[in-house]
Order: sequence, then C-alpha cells, then structure tokens
Amino acid sequence: MVPASFRTAVVRARAASTVGLTAASALALACVAGTASSGPAAAAAAAMPAPPACQALQSRYPQFKGKTLVDAVNPHTPGYEALDPQDPSKYIGFDIDLAETIGDCLGFTLTYKPVTFAALLTTLSSGQADIVISDIYATEERAKAADFITYSKVFDGVLVAKSNPKKISGINASLCGTTAAENTGYVEIPLIQNLAPECKAQNKPAAEIQLYDNNANCIQAILAGRADTYINDVNTVDQAVKAYPDKLEKATAVTLPYSVGIAVPKDKPEFRDAVLAALTEIQKAGIETRLLEKWSLGAGTLDAPRLVMAK
Amino acid sequence: MDLFLHYLAMPYLLQGIGFTVAVTALGLGGGLAAGLVLAAMQLSRFWPLAALARAYTIVFRGTPLILQLVFAYDALPLIGLKLSAIGAAGLALAANEAPFIAEILRSGVLGVDRGQVMAGQALGMTPAVLMRRVIAPQAIRTMVPALGNETVSALKNSSLASVIAVEELTLRSTQLASSTFDFFSIFFASGLMYLVLTGAVSLLQIAVERWLDLDRPSARSRVLRLLPGRRPVPATVPAALAPAPMAAGPDPVPAAPRPDRAKRAAAIRNNNPAVEVAGLTKRYGEQPILSSLDLTVRVGEVVALLGPSGSGKSTLLRCINRLETWQDGTVRVGGRRLGFRADGRPVGPRVLAEERADVGVGMVFQSFNLFGHLSALENVAGPLRWVHGLSRLDAERRARALLERVGLAHRADALPRHLSGGQQQRVAIARALAPNPSVLLLDEPTSALDPELVGEVLEVIRRLAVEDGLTMIISTHQVRFADEVADRVVILGGGAIAEEGPAHEVLRHPKNPLTARFLRAMSADRATELPA
Repeated sequence: MVPASFRTAVVRARAASTVGLTAASALALACVAGTASSGPAAAAAAAMPAPPACQALQSRYPQFKGKTLVDAVNPHTPGYEALDPQDPSKYIGFDIDLAETIGDCLGFTLTYKPVTFAALLTTLSSGQADIVISDIYATEERAKAADFITYSKVFDGVLVAKSNPKKISGINASLCGTTAAENTGYVEIPLIQNLAPECKAQNKPAAEIQLYDNNANCIQAILAGRADTYINDVNTVDQAVKAYPDKLEKATAVTLPYSVGIAVPKDKPEFRDAVLAALTEIQKAGIETRLLEKWSLGAGTLDAPRLVMAK
Repeated sequence: MDLFLHYLAMPYLLQGIGFTVAVTALGLGGGLAAGLVLAAMQLSRFWPLAALARAYTIVFRGTPLILQLVFAYDALPLIGLKLSAIGAAGLALAANEAPFIAEILRSGVLGVDRGQVMAGQALGMTPAVLMRRVIAPQAIRTMVPALGNETVSALKNSSLASVIAVEELTLRSTQLASSTFDFFSIFFASGLMYLVLTGAVSLLQIAVERWLDLDRPSARSRVLRLLPGRRPVPATVPAALAPAPMAAGPDPVPAAPRPDRAKRAAAIRNNNPAVEVAGLTKRYGEQPILSSLDLTVRVGEVVALLGPSGSGKSTLLRCINRLETWQDGTVRVGGRRLGFRADGRPVGPRVLAEERADVGVGMVFQSFNLFGHLSALENVAGPLRWVHGLSRLDAERRARALLERVGLAHRADALPRHLSGGQQQRVAIARALAPNPSVLLLDEPTSALDPELVGEVLEVIRRLAVEDGLTMIISTHQVRFADEVADRVVILGGGAIAEEGPAHEVLRHPKNPLTARFLRAMSADRATELPA
C-alpha cells in the first residue's frame, strides 16, 4: 500500500518539473536572483564523544572527513528534533544528537535544513540535503526514493481529547466514524484508510483524515475540536500531553511493523556503508542507549542497524 | 500577553524578518527586471518575441507559486543549477512576479493617451525619447498603486518560501510553535510583524504618490491650509476669468480685406513646391480612404482642406507627415520622400523620427495632444532640447517667446489640464512652430473647442498665414475662416479631390454639385454665412 499523501508529494514534484522544464529557458533568462545562502540553522547541542573505533572508520572513509553535510529535518517533533525553546537558533533532540555523534565518528559536521515532512526525501534526492535523520519510518515504499538504515523501533501513541470522548482504543474499528489528524506523508494514513472495509462491515462510516504539515497543526486540530485523534510516535504524543495536561491524553500505545531509519541518497553506496558502520559502532558503545535515556524515549526502542532498500 | 511581548521582541523571530525582506526584495527586483523585458517583448513589433512573452506569461501566471518554489529548489539541481534556498526562493518569486509586473507596465504604457504619442512622433521624437520623455513619466504615475499592491502581495507570498527551508518569518514561527507549544502568542507576534512590514509599504506608496503628484501644492500653501480660518488665495486668476489677450470673442475676426489676393496668387505660383502628393492611395482593409490623390502645395501657400467627415482629410494630413502608411503613391516634402530609403524600402521608426525632425513638418491636432505631465513651457521647450539638441537656456528662451506670441506668457507654468481648450490649442501651435517647420499641418484645429474659444485660435492661425507667410495645410469646417485665410481651397469627397481652386471662387461659385451641396449644408449647420 502506497502511503497516499507521500504519493501526492512525489506527483507534486513531478508536476513541478514538467511545468518547469518546458519553461526552463525562460526561467534561466529570468535568473537574476542572488545566490546568497540562507544558512541552515546552527549546529545542535553537544553530542556524546565518539567511540574509539571511529578512528578506523575515518581512515576507511576519508572522503567525508572535514566535510560539512546538510541534514534535512522536519523540526516539529520535540524530543526528536525541534528548536531549542531556550535558544531558537539551535535544534535539539534525540535525532540531532545521533546525527552529531555519527558526524563526530566519521569526521564531518552538520548543518540542518528545516522542511515539511513530505519534502524530506525530495530534498534529499534533489541534492539539497545529504542525509535525513528526522524520525522518518523506513518503509519499502519510501525506500524507492532513498536507502534507509534503521536505528529505532516504532511505537505509536493515540492522542485524543481529555477523557477520550470517542472511546478510541487504537488503529482498529474504534476509529470508524471519527476524524484523525495526520501529517502529509505519514505511514499511519494508509493504516487508517485500510480500516474502511471493516467499518463498512459494521455499518459504520470510515474514519476521515485531515492532512496537515507538522505536529503542532495536528495537535491544534484536536484542541480546536476539528479532529478526534492524532496517531503518531508515542514520544511526540507524550510531549503533547505534557504541554496540555488538562485538554489532551494518550488513549493507548500501539506497535507498528516499522523501524525508524536514517535516509541517505541511493546513488551514494559508500556514504550509506560509512553511516551504517558508524551507527553500528555507536550502538555497540552504548551511546544510542544513553541518548534514548537522555531524551526519555525508552531504551527498549533501540533497533539494530539494518538496511531497508528498494527491492 | 507577556508571552506575546516576549515573542515580539525575540531576536530569532526579528532576524526572520531579514530573510522575509531579502526574499521579497529579490522577487520584486528580479520580477521588475524580468517584467520590463517581458513587457518590452509583448509590445514589440516582432511577433515571435511577443508570442514567447505570452507563452511565458501563461505558464508562470497559470501555475501556483508553491510549485514554482519547489521546482526551483528541488528540480533545478537535476539540471546542475543548485541555488541556495534564498536564491531559489528569489528566483521563483521573481519568475512568478514577472508576468504580473509586466502586465502592470504594459497597461501603464498602453494607458498613455495615443494622441500624445502621435504628437511626439510628429515632433520627430525617436521611440526611445518618446518612451523616456512622454510615455514613461505618465505611465509610472498610473502604475504606482498597482505596484504597491504587488509589493504587499510579494511580501506575503514570501511566506511560501518556508516550504523550501528559507528561514523566513513564517518558517521560524511554525518551528518555534512546534517546540514551545505557544501557538497563538507566536502567530500573533509574527502576524504583527507582517502588518508592520506591509504598513511600511503602504506608507511608502503614499509618499511616492504624493511626490509624483503633479498638482502637489507647494509647501507654503500646505502650511496655510492648516491654519484655522485661512484659505489659500489662488496665485493666479482662474483661467475662465483671465482675459484672453488675443481672443476676438465668439464672432471670428472681421474679414480682413485682401485686395492683393491676385498678386499673392501669382507670386505663389512661382514658388517651389513644399508638399507634393502624387497618386496617393490608402485603404483600411477593403475600405478605400484615399484613391489616387494628387496635390501640390507651394511654399508660402495656405491650403484649406474641406469636406464631409470621413472624406480623408485627417488621413491625408497624417500621410504627409508619414504618421500613416499607405498602399500606393508618393509624398514629397521639400523634395524629399519621408520615411523611405533610396531603394524605396521603408526605414525603421528611429530613422523616420530623425527625418521628420530634419524635414520639419509641424502638426497641430484636433484634440491638442499636449503632453499632460508637462507645463505649457515644457511642452514647447522640451522637444527643442530632446529632438533638436538646444540648450536648456535657448530652448526656454524660444519657448517663452512663442508663448508670448500666442498670448500665453502668463500661463507658462500651467499644466495642460488647467488650461482652457483654446489655450491648450494655442500652446500646441506654439509647440508645432518651435522647431521652425517648413510646413504646418493643422488637423481641424478648432473642432474640439467650445464656440466661444474658436476665435482666439483662428486669430493665431490667421496671423501665422498673413504675417509669417508660413506654408500651411488646414483641414477645417470653418468655411468663413477658410475663405478669409486660405489661398486655395481643396474639397475632398470619398477620398479624392472633388473640387479645388482659389478660395473665393470655389466657396462662392462651386462647380461640382457635390461641393455645392456640402457648402450649403455647412452654412446651414454652422450658421456661418459667407459675406456677400
């Protein structure tokens, strides 16, 4: 099953290029805009020191040493990646720390480029970013656009209004007739859509889905009474409940058959291998476990590095 | 409220304004440059250029900006053009703004009175001079409100650059909202920042409009208006009350006796031809306007063109000045064919303008066609500087002398719209005379005037004929005036000469029954009986 909105994003990019290529010469003619850099946001908080084995990796992959690479993130997920409320010039979170640690290990530094969730992989394949570490689930469908290296298991939380008025109990028939807020491109969308036949069998209307751009908009949709639930990574859900304890609650947590993955370009196998090797060392040294604890993400979610690539 | 103020003063958000302004500036600056090119292409005489510009407009006006942003950011790198986020946003916004700005420019240019353009051409202005001195200054004034709109819209559109990672105000606000959960205080703060920016644009627009306002009162009178109980006293007497120094009232000049008519006619007969029209044929599509028309006007001769509306009088005059093209025949002024190379092929508009200035054919139009943004003095002096290269001092001296002659020295600084019709036409005559033309063409110079203003204009023309001996071709409906001023009357009918001859004879004893009927109708309509 293709995640519906992810497909939309790909189609959108294709449409844009068709339109554009016909007018490419005209556009080049009008190409008067400057090339001043907007400079992606500053580096994040200090990461853990890299394990000693990284020295060997740096000699095996010297081409990344001293480089500055761009990490595309959708920084609307406190705990994983979001602005530091104390100093908004920085991004902080588990993904940011992990990225910095991988960078330390291989000897490169990172800058961060904030994009919408649906644009994460487009940004990577267009070359505007070198890597994506942004709480994105490594699905086979997405693996058509990028190679993934897994690093964490997926547990979703079901965010609902306080006292769960619609009695939602997970990604099941309890969603029939409710409205779910989701971000464009999220894997939860097809899972919810797949409930339609079950709802029909019970003579209930299928769940409706509202598409937004980021977590904050999804949470606002519940607060404003537009949506009944928002199903996403359990830690994101916990953060939302912490921010609005009187208005929101977590109905339940569910396991999804996915892993969270680091996305790298398909045409750079050496970089993929280097990141895989670095992540392996980092896990072996217990650094990822310590980072999960630091961000209260639960050590049980750690997932062994594994490649998810298009078949 | 505290949170709102906290975010309003937060450097992170305030710096975002910098990116918003940068993207807007790139988009507007690039859009203006590309829009100028597009507008020029669309107004071009070469249709492939116009078609290309039209195609660009259809594509870039017809697709959403957000797609263009994603394209510039994510698709262009595939063909090796990897712009920074700000560069891509500036490019996309510029590409998107260009067709809108081009349409504003185009409508501004097309909105300038065609008559003024024709007057400029008749004065020998090249297309470049015409654009710079006549069209642009007036077009810009009409374009300011639309450009102000476009600036505000570009400023708001820059927020879409957040989808391609430009760290502008909107992207920073949404990220901050995600990390702090202070949704509303942050968006109220950034909303206020946008309001301040667009408010500044509005203020700028008002300032520019005021600065360009031709009727802007002087600083002194503005101060006076603010004082209680004081009304500024008009510096000059209103036009309607001012005595028209040369006007002879509603009743045209008393018929000056011209006993020397025969002698004068004999003298003119020996003069060189000033204008020679041979076999002139012109059609608009299937509609014939002039059919194989021949006419020779000699130096010093005054010819009145009479004939019903649509008989081709105005077209003939415009052909003489090469403001029109035609299908067949030749026109020579002072022995030269205006607008043709030696091999008979037509010249371009710039060379034609130079030839016009060189040959010296002055033209006065029915609707005056004064340059609306220039004072009476500048209407006369400007073309002398721009076309004939006179110094500012010489041009002004000559212009003042000519305004003096047409009795308008006291209105030298007035704008055309503050002058009466008769005064405007007198300024137009001064303007046409300024370069010392060898021939003066007057196209129904009094037809657009209120009856009581006709006299003052006719008097000026009469003096030019009598005192200066200027060669003139006047198309007119004033039979009595023609009789009095013209050496010869040419009556047109259906694009050909119905009858011509000495004014006295033709007007009193027409041989052609068509002419007779026309003259009777004119006399009845206008109650302008010929003196017995």
